[in-house]
Amino acid sequence: MDKLYAKALDDLAHASGADTKKLVADLVKHLASSGRTKLLPGILRQLKVIEARRAKLAPSVEVASQSESAHALKEAAAQGIVATKAQVNHALIKGWRARSGGTLIDRSAKRGLIDIYRNVTN
Amino acid sequence: MESIIKRIEDEIAGFAPKGTSEETGIVRATGDGIAEIDGLEKAIMNEMVLFDPTFDRTLEAALKDADPIYGLVLNLEEDGVRAVILGDSSKVYEGMLVRRVGRLLSIPVGDSLVGRVVNPLGEPVDGKGPTGANIQRPIESEAYGVMDRSPVNTPLHTGIKAIDAMVPIGRGQRELIIGDRGTGKTTIAIDTIINQKSESEATRPICIYVAIGQKESKTAKLVAELSDKGAMDYTIVVTAPASSPAAFQFLAPFAGAAIGEHFMEQGKDAVVIYDDLSKQAVAYRQMSLLLRRPPGREAYPGDIFYLHSRLLERAAKLSKEKGGGSLTALPIIETQEGDISTYIPTNVISITDGQIFVLANLFNQGLRPAIDVGNSVSRVGSAAQTKAMKKVSGKIKLELAQFRELEAFMQFASDLDEGTKKQIDSGRRMTEMLKQPNGKPLPFEMEAAVIFAGVNGFLDTFAPEKTSEAEARLQEYLTREATGVLAAIRTTREISDTIEKDLRGILDKFVERTAE
Repeated sequence: MDKLYAKALDDLAHASGADTKKLVADLVKHLASSGRTKLLPGILRQLKVIEARRAKLAPSVEVASQSESAHALKEAAAQGIVATKAQVNHALIKGWRARSGGTLIDRSAKRGLIDIYRNVTN
Repeated sequence: MESIIKRIEDEIAGFAPKGTSEETGIVRATGDGIAEIDGLEKAIMNEMVLFDPTFDRTLEAALKDADPIYGLVLNLEEDGVRAVILGDSSKVYEGMLVRRVGRLLSIPVGDSLVGRVVNPLGEPVDGKGPTGANIQRPIESEAYGVMDRSPVNTPLHTGIKAIDAMVPIGRGQRELIIGDRGTGKTTIAIDTIINQKSESEATRPICIYVAIGQKESKTAKLVAELSDKGAMDYTIVVTAPASSPAAFQFLAPFAGAAIGEHFMEQGKDAVVIYDDLSKQAVAYRQMSLLLRRPPGREAYPGDIFYLHSRLLERAAKLSKEKGGGSLTALPIIETQEGDISTYIPTNVISITDGQIFVLANLFNQGLRPAIDVGNSVSRVGSAAQTKAMKKVSGKIKLELAQFRELEAFMQFASDLDEGTKKQIDSGRRMTEMLKQPNGKPLPFEMEAAVIFAGVNGFLDTFAPEKTSEAEARLQEYLTREATGVLAAIRTTREISDTIEKDLRGILDKFVERTAE
């Protein structure tokens, strides 16, 4: 039940022109009137889960070196992944990778080398 | 030298990896062999996913352990998917990247699997190196429809007299072997495999033995026995031992069916033994509960019937247009205290085309195989029974049933008339004759000849308790003196008037000699 409330609240909060203060007040009022106030901590927990999931799946771009970030951001945007800045991850060796939602674009040398290693060893 | 270094540096600088867009998810939570995954919105049921341990590690660390772990998507939910982990689940962690593989769970199949022991993913576990099988086949596939099938019309000889005479099995049939633990269910299945050696290579079926949730020592012993008897030349063993994850035990029968279908579609005959489906049901229940599916009767999920029906429905005898191959299924079910009215046994009884019921008390009385003739049936096998076997076994079942009734009555009656005594003696002889040591299946023609001798009174000169001994002598005698008759029965598959005359002559001589 708390999961459903949290999902509904999240959907409403992300609708255009949503007044979050009013949403919360209405929710508390509704819960109190239906004798379900004890659900509130559970709803909060579920909202945090939704938020954490959103953060995990938020658009992100990683580059092997700072010098590649402008190119990487441009390329990623062309592929539909729009991020404001790129994070440096030296483990990529060269190239970049971008992730948003369930989509991953990996153009790093690390991935290329691992693929070669797997093809050779399997 | 410097120019070379410069050139290589330029090459590296100019290296532009070509990555493609792929759908990925992230492990939200994991435990008990199940992973909850965020993302993978387009994943489909039974699709393979790959848990990638290399994504958030350095290249050096990644290459030390670059082997991917596979998973199988089994729950599609509003906010993600749940998948069972097909491998070392301790290596899957929260936040791990999961990639879609883009194909349903498949295993490599091919003729080179024959003689091998593999796990449900088709990976060799016998230490003999790669299997060489290279045709990928989904482990779940739709069963053939009505128009693609032909009626069961070819016998599958088990080499066990009691079965071939009274509960005949046809190629393409599904015959359940059911009974308590330690009553000889596996022995029946193994003897059936061993007996196929007596078939000519052209008609010999490929046997697939699927060991589900069994001790590895038992499977090793069984493989050794099959090897010793030369049966591994046409046998494949799929093993998901008790120590393997529940997912493997759930998948093993489907892997066995996929391998069997490969041979069936080539126009060959195959036999697949699922030992046993009770353990598969338990593994599926475990997985379903961990996947948070609602429990039903005995905590099994609602689709437990469908699990077994879709598996067993894949057994078929294909029409000539489809190549005429067949896949015979011999599922095994373990009962508790001989109770066949519990959930899983009743389900599988209703799905199959008959059952061989083995009883603990018969087993303990020394009647082996301990087949309960009254409760064992074969619904389609009699259509596939050879004329020879039909001729000799016609009345056995009825006579044995009558004997069992009289036997019970005999315990209370002190004086019995001559006719009843004769009937009881005949029943005892019949019972003794149907006893058979394990690991010694008989070729079809020998079975027919021995049963012929038994039902026609050629063993009546022996005391009922000496019937087994007499039968052994008869077999020896027939092997030595009746090669022509046995060959004729094998070839023509019937006991014609001429063959009968010759056989009676030989049996008369046997009776004369044994009387001396």
